[in-house]
Amino acid sequence: MDYPQQQLEELKRYCTKLMAFPEGGVTYFYLEELRLPAACVPTVCDALLCPVPRDGYPSRLFLSVRVSSPYPRNWNVTNARIAERNWFAFSWKVDLPNLTLAQLLIAHLNALVKEK
Amino acid sequence: MSLENIEPSQDAQAGAVPPGNEWNPNGGELVQGEIDIGAYAERGHEVPHARCYVVRIDCETVRVTTAHPTGEALLAKVDKRPCAFELIEEFVHCENNVVESGETVDLRKRGLKGFITAHKEIVTIFINGDPHPIERGERTVAQILTKVGESPEGYILLEEKDGPPLPLPVGTPVKICGCETFHSLVQTGGSS
Repeated sequence: MDYPQQQLEELKRYCTKLMAFPEGGVTYFYLEELRLPAACVPTVCDALLCPVPRDGYPSRLFLSVRVSSPYPRNWNVTNARIAERNWFAFSWKVDLPNLTLAQLLIAHLNALVKEK
Repeated sequence: MSLENIEPSQDAQAGAVPPGNEWNPNGGELVQGEIDIGAYAERGHEVPHARCYVVRIDCETVRVTTAHPTGEALLAKVDKRPCAFELIEEFVHCENNVVESGETVDLRKRGLKGFITAHKEIVTIFINGDPHPIERGERTVAQILTKVGESPEGYILLEEKDGPPLPLPVGTPVKICGCETFHSLVQTGGSS
């Protein structure tokens, strides 16, 4: 699926390097040194945004580490192997349609700083 | 310190006639190259027309190339903005006057020796591009969202600070100093 250049530019602001790559019929966005919300430890980590359905979720955000955040999350993916790296993900369902890539990323990141 | 900051030269002192002075071809008036308004104020002299005015703002000395800058332009000379700071004219006889951000200042005003700045108590923040007044200090996410008629139940508050907009933790106070840029985004998502 092609995304408008403007959406990619917006997403680029959140990381030092943005790269799209296909794997297993899915296009992932690799975000190097993604900035995490305040109160998260670490403050940056690498991430993979999967903007299409996977594992029963409409979209997923994989992180290179298990992030410590103000509210505990259910980290139900540990060491998922994608692009020859291990990734972690917490259970979070973003079900609002028609979000831009950056809005989708924000919706996932917001899970780290909201209670429920 | 502003890149344009300078120490006043000997020529900038009141009474001196620095090189670079010229006659105004329209008014037949002598236009000085550079003058220090503070020095003229201390002597009680009228500030002449000049191509450049040396002005003290707080502890800094800056150059201004118009006799009628706005308060905002003067604040910018010391890397400050009216959303957080106010500019105050200082006169020789201990008289002070607050300059509104859009107000034009007359640098040739008799007795004007310079300016000081002060942090505002009611500052301006920007939410979704619009300015909103708010008291300086620690505020909750809910208090900020209220400014745009929204609440944390329905909206995420994002702050744009040295980078892209990132969601703010709902339970953590947000420090407001003035000029902060926020965005709101409809809440979506939940644990599954």
